[in-house]
Amino acid sequence: MADLVLEVRNVDKIFGEGETAVYALKNVSFSVKKGKFILIVGSSGSGKSTLLNMIGLLDRPTNGQVFIDGIDPSNLNDNQISSFRNSKLGFIFQFSNLLSDLTVLENVLLPRQIQGTDTNAIEEAKSLLKTVGLENQMNKYANKVSGGQAQRVAICRALINKPAIVLADEPTGNLDSVSAQTTVQLMKSLNKKLGHTFIIVTHDRPQFGDVDKIITIKDGRIVDDEMMEVPTVN
Amino acid sequence: MDYRAKVGLRFITRRKGSLIAASLAVSIAILVVQVNSVIFQGLYNAIIRDQINYRFGHVYITRNENFITKSDKMLVNWLERIPYVEAAAPRLESTASINATGSGQTVRDYDVPVIGVDPVLDTQASTMYTTVGNGQYVSSRNSIVLGALVARDLGNPHVGDSIKLKFKDRNGLDQLKRFTIVGITQTAGSVGLDNSVIMNIDTLREILGRPHETQSIMVRLNDPTKDQVVKDLFLNAFPTRSDNFKAQTIEESAEQTLSGFRSGIALINLVGYFGMMSSAFAVVTIQMMQVTSKTREIGIMRAIGSKRKDILMIFIFQGMVIGAIGAGLGTVFGVSYTVYAKETHLTFQGSLALEVSYNWLGILQTDILAFVLAIVASIYPAYKATKLQPVEAMRFG
Repeated sequence: MADLVLEVRNVDKIFGEGETAVYALKNVSFSVKKGKFILIVGSSGSGKSTLLNMIGLLDRPTNGQVFIDGIDPSNLNDNQISSFRNSKLGFIFQFSNLLSDLTVLENVLLPRQIQGTDTNAIEEAKSLLKTVGLENQMNKYANKVSGGQAQRVAICRALINKPAIVLADEPTGNLDSVSAQTTVQLMKSLNKKLGHTFIIVTHDRPQFGDVDKIITIKDGRIVDDEMMEVPTVN
Repeated sequence: MDYRAKVGLRFITRRKGSLIAASLAVSIAILVVQVNSVIFQGLYNAIIRDQINYRFGHVYITRNENFITKSDKMLVNWLERIPYVEAAAPRLESTASINATGSGQTVRDYDVPVIGVDPVLDTQASTMYTTVGNGQYVSSRNSIVLGALVARDLGNPHVGDSIKLKFKDRNGLDQLKRFTIVGITQTAGSVGLDNSVIMNIDTLREILGRPHETQSIMVRLNDPTKDQVVKDLFLNAFPTRSDNFKAQTIEESAEQTLSGFRSGIALINLVGYFGMMSSAFAVVTIQMMQVTSKTREIGIMRAIGSKRKDILMIFIFQGMVIGAIGAGLGTVFGVSYTVYAKETHLTFQGSLALEVSYNWLGILQTDILAFVLAIVASIYPAYKATKLQPVEAMRFG
């Protein structure tokens, strides 16, 4: 249990009330160990993004619990949840969702500045940008870089606070095939290199190749929880 | 720089249209208040200035319900020994019947105010003599200066013409006397003695049978702020119980003229402040548009850990930027107009020249008010921004 970074227990998410109530998630349970690279797959409308929102504390489950790094955040107030998201979770969205009014470097620095711990932040941000090959783009405004580059910036932003889990919602959904493949390889290499847990929602399972675990969702239920036994060094 | 300030600054400065529109709304409101202040406070000050120069001086001395019987020379000498007093001059007032003529025919008889002045002292204590556009000021015993309105009613006589005035002396007897017109006085806005005639005070005393009496003494100061000091010094030296003197500062002596005007200024200022409220509504509208256009960014920031109060601060800071730029621009516009009005001695259609002064405290107060209003106007949009849920904001932004 000690190496579990995420535990989802009997989570339901119901939209609407009474006769119009719709189960977006029904009795979803699974767990993820630290440092794993996990895919949540399913067709459009299956509930995978809703599940990601529950894990990302962007929405609350109607029933059930989500434990992140051993903590149940359901009792936290709004400010505490914001701080928790900031320190424990990193987000990568489909459209990169950078702030277009900030530069690439400022976008990467933002979670750290929100946290209020600026020590060595600029060096760390530059180092991350160098890792993803954007050291020459860091002073450009975010809307002046390509889609693939923007997604790499979003990855750096997600990693700057060294989160327990990086959540990615269709991170390659808006990219051409070359950029998509580059992004996937980058996330996988960062997973290996830095040891962050990646949970990725996608409907394009083949693009990701070998991963640690695949959770398949259909109509709000987990229909397959496939653990891939990938040999690891040491 | 705090990240909230940086994000707020970028949000607003990268949308120049919104920034310019909101800042202009604030600055125009300040300009309206400033222009109102320049015109109406300038007019108010101009009236005070002319009342000081032409009628009352900085301190106006009379005697309750009676003529001053003490020697005017003694009183003037006493007053001029006070260091703050530049000059003092006696005046005597009465009325006379005068004939208005047209084409050589008498049109009507009417009464005009008559002011008796000391030809020497009056030019030191008053600037009335400077308003004689045609001819010269009162000099010899039988000379007279006509106000422009009187001259008009008389059919515009010329300097050098003679004129007869009929007085009633202290015993109620008619005294008819002929005078030579030596000048015609005209003041902008007719705030001087345009409806009166001015003559030698000794002549008037003689006609009225009041050889040593004076109606009033106008006192001109070299330091107008010392008017209350001079007034108190005078009343202490000549106690009311014995001499029954009355001394008034310009605010007191011109109160009747100024009180109505002050109400007008208050009303105009109110209109100006309503203009500022309108600018606040403009800021609310622009800030609401700003929040709407930044919905997605707000959602992202909330998702990566910004608290509601952080989002609130971003938009409040934007209000501060709008307020500061608007106040700065408004001050530049307002001060420029003030400089223009002061340097050109601005007048409107021949009215008296505005007495414009730099009211820095007033400008500062208006700026602070505009700045605070811009912040207050940003509170509601900022609050709305904090209510956005991250998921919905990113989905619909």
